[in-house]
Amino acid sequence: MKANYLLWILLTVFYALVTGGYHLWYFLTYGGWEPIGTSALAMLTFMSAFLAFYLWKTHRTQGVVPEDRLDANIEDGESELGFFSPWSWWPLYLGIACALVFASLAVGWWLTYFVVPLAIIGVVGYVFEHSRGQHAH
Amino acid sequence: MATLTETRPSSGASFPQKKKQTKGQILVDWLTTTDHKKIGYLYLMTSFAYFLIGGVMALVIRAQLAAPGLDIVQTKEQYNQLFTMHGTIMLLMFATPLFAGFANVLMPVQIGAPDVAFPRLNAIAYWFYFFGSFVAVSGFFTPQGAASFGWFAYAPLSNTTFSPGIGGDLWVFGLALGGFGTILGGVNFITTILTMRAPGMTMFRMPIFTWNTLVTSILVIMAFPPLAAALFALGADRRLDAHIFDPANGGAMLWQHLFWFFGHPEVYILALPFFGIVSEIFPVFSRKPIFGYKTLVYATIAIAALSMTVWAHHMYVTGSVLLPFFAFTTMLIAVPTGVKIFNWIGTMWRGSITFENPMLWSLGFLTTFIFGGLTGVILASPALDYHLSDSYFVVAHFHYVVFGTVVFAMFAGFFFWWPKMTGKMLNERLGYIQFWLTFFGFHITFLIQHWLGVIGMPRRYATYLPEDGFTWMNMVSSLGSILLALSIIPFLWNVYITYRSAPKVTLDDPWGYGRSLEWATATPFPRHNFTSIPRIRSESPAFDLHHPDYAAPEAKAAAKK
Amino acid sequence: MSTRFKWASIPLATTMVLLLSGCADQFARGFLPGEWGVTNHTDRITGLWTTAWIVLWLVGIIAWALMGWAILVYRRRKGETGMPAQLRYNNPIEVLFTVIPLILVIGFFAFTARDMAAIEKPTENPEVTIQVIAKQWSWDFNYVDANVFESGIQAQFEGQEGVPETLPTLYLPVNKTVKIDLSARDVIHSFWVIDFLYKKDMFPGKTNSMYFTPQKEGTYAGKCAELCGEYHSLMLFQVKVVSQTEYDSYLATLAAKGQTGQLDTTYDRNQNLPGDNPEIRG
Repeated sequence: MKANYLLWILLTVFYALVTGGYHLWYFLTYGGWEPIGTSALAMLTFMSAFLAFYLWKTHRTQGVVPEDRLDANIEDGESELGFFSPWSWWPLYLGIACALVFASLAVGWWLTYFVVPLAIIGVVGYVFEHSRGQHAH
Repeated sequence: MATLTETRPSSGASFPQKKKQTKGQILVDWLTTTDHKKIGYLYLMTSFAYFLIGGVMALVIRAQLAAPGLDIVQTKEQYNQLFTMHGTIMLLMFATPLFAGFANVLMPVQIGAPDVAFPRLNAIAYWFYFFGSFVAVSGFFTPQGAASFGWFAYAPLSNTTFSPGIGGDLWVFGLALGGFGTILGGVNFITTILTMRAPGMTMFRMPIFTWNTLVTSILVIMAFPPLAAALFALGADRRLDAHIFDPANGGAMLWQHLFWFFGHPEVYILALPFFGIVSEIFPVFSRKPIFGYKTLVYATIAIAALSMTVWAHHMYVTGSVLLPFFAFTTMLIAVPTGVKIFNWIGTMWRGSITFENPMLWSLGFLTTFIFGGLTGVILASPALDYHLSDSYFVVAHFHYVVFGTVVFAMFAGFFFWWPKMTGKMLNERLGYIQFWLTFFGFHITFLIQHWLGVIGMPRRYATYLPEDGFTWMNMVSSLGSILLALSIIPFLWNVYITYRSAPKVTLDDPWGYGRSLEWATATPFPRHNFTSIPRIRSESPAFDLHHPDYAAPEAKAAAKK
Repeated sequence: MSTRFKWASIPLATTMVLLLSGCADQFARGFLPGEWGVTNHTDRITGLWTTAWIVLWLVGIIAWALMGWAILVYRRRKGETGMPAQLRYNNPIEVLFTVIPLILVIGFFAFTARDMAAIEKPTENPEVTIQVIAKQWSWDFNYVDANVFESGIQAQFEGQEGVPETLPTLYLPVNKTVKIDLSARDVIHSFWVIDFLYKKDMFPGKTNSMYFTPQKEGTYAGKCAELCGEYHSLMLFQVKVVSQTEYDSYLATLAAKGQTGQLDTTYDRNQNLPGDNPEIRG
């Protein structure tokens, strides 16, 4: 994990420097600022900082995990990795419903009214798929 | 019935034999799959289909341009639709999903994971791509045709005043949906790599392909959201009477900045995964580890980080960008790219090289990409770009880098990993025929386009005057395109006869010198990737397992213990 | 050995003859279009182009040669067993092939920055000012000082020869400093005079400028270089660089034709203000 948050800190610092440098260079050449590029680069800096912080926090909580130890053996890992859904109809359904929603933005609002509920059903069904039926809590 | 919770595989486990499935069961299996490998195969197949569709469009374009004043397409508006959709399809429906395909099939296996972090989200990403692409391309089935404003959709040409017609709207919203699919895929890959590596698989022991997948996915989450925002804004302009990209408000430049802020990282999203593929192949067929692993990783990160800072080199001739800043960052990117090229050569150096298809295709990539990189440095200079921008020189440059990277490395990857994916090896002889047809077809088509651009042929021109002096060069290029088209036939034939009659391969490592974990598991892949995972003590765990005499020092030390 | 040399010498000699004969001048200019000294900027651009290509070809040849050497010399021989030394890194070499390209890049940037600044530098009091307004799919030329204009339509091309003479033509006097203001009536276009080795985009609602001195009389082809709709390929023009007297008499003919005054923004397509849009498909 340590390499992960270091990567993001590197990116944060780099983008902070680039944002500042770009703004300064533009200002010295033309006066004023170039709002689009400067904002986009600033947002990259924030996003990198956000992710760096999250990964650093996670690293602090987790400590050193087997996958980050140079001398770990396969047996050192946790035996149970978690739940992996074996199959699901919801991705296909959600794909079709969202495609209809997006296409309806082009085709006409009458279609949007019909298909948005289908998409909402898809999202709800997808999120709660494994909280129902035989897996219900 | 497949298991619901996954446990780390112990050695020697056996799985029950599958009963023969009916065609309906097979169809349902594929439609509802959450297995990263099957989803990967879906991506590979769909993107290859789009490659063929986009390729046919290119052939029509080249037919139209073979001589001055031709009318292969009835109207120039249709010609504009052709190159708009050719670009859109090749970049966003072929090359980007192809990355998702290879990453899905290989990355979890390479890090010793049983699947990706979010299997259903993985499937959702695929279906968003599948249906989003269909929506975007469905413009062709409407009376006024598909989008015709170029794949970069500059404002105000892309608004309803100058491009009325539902084809443009379908393009905008179809790409928005597909873009969300790509973002979800990127999130999935990053999470998987950060959290699901096997014990001992530290970040600096991951295969280069996995590193490149990680860096590409980071680029995806940085670059695609601005595209989605820009597309929704354009959609609002087209459908809701918004004035976001109105020229009077500086909207034309606003669109260009937003689009290229996505557009430039996009080309690195296209390139990096395929750099990763050849980085896997060179070591195997040189029988040496990848040269300069750490510098390769740092160079990849440098390329990705820098690629977000160079976007306005597509806008040098607009007269409104900070030229020296972008010239500097663009030229800087050449440095880590050069480092990668020398690292690949260093891998081959003092190796023991054989030229099976994966290696041949990777060498074809390297040859082509070197030249594309050189023309890129020329274009990085605004003083030279003033003349060359929007000419066929740029078209030649990007076909060299993108076709050279994506297509050559794609075939390299197909030949390399076909046994792991399907349990059979593709025919080597047909592969050689295909390679040479592709290599010559490609260079005959595109090399001469550099010269066409230098002497003044603009891009996106449906025709040209006899007096321009472009005729013989265009004819050569169009003849080359025929050769390129023919080169696909051996591949399709190869796939078919392999499927029908090639012998089954059951070795874990059919090529003999595989390095990463996929070569330490059964052929074809087991359902959850591994029945047992070897000890990981270097970036080449399968190699250390199969060739203990030549294993990495840490692996040898661990084996002694 | 000598037979091989004989076979190599024929193509080599042919190439040399071709290069050293008529193509020598073209080769010296890096095969760029036009000739030496078309404008005051072209020679600078030509110099940068040829120098850049010399360095880049060198780098490329080194890379290809190394690759070719590896393929030939390090191929696995028949019957070879075992494996080569499993070398994973070599720091000095890696540093070398990082630092040398970095130096080359910084050098290239320095020359580029110098040339860019010179090309873009505005001229204080240009002797000739022209305003070119692009439209779908042709050009309006406003001769600002003389207060006359010329307007064009797209090329009428069905595959026949003889179109260039019919194209809208911009006249410029030789050896005078020129400023051209560029804008557009509808979508983005681009003003590219090929032999001038320069183009600039034309935006609706914005004015870009280019500054140069034409130094050679002649007729030069011009093309639109930004996709602007269906007839983008037919949005062609010409530039004629002529003597001052010929230029003045041309302006007089425009005045005689009644084309006095300047074409303004009246016919611009983007007249939209909020609430002013035509009804769109809903």
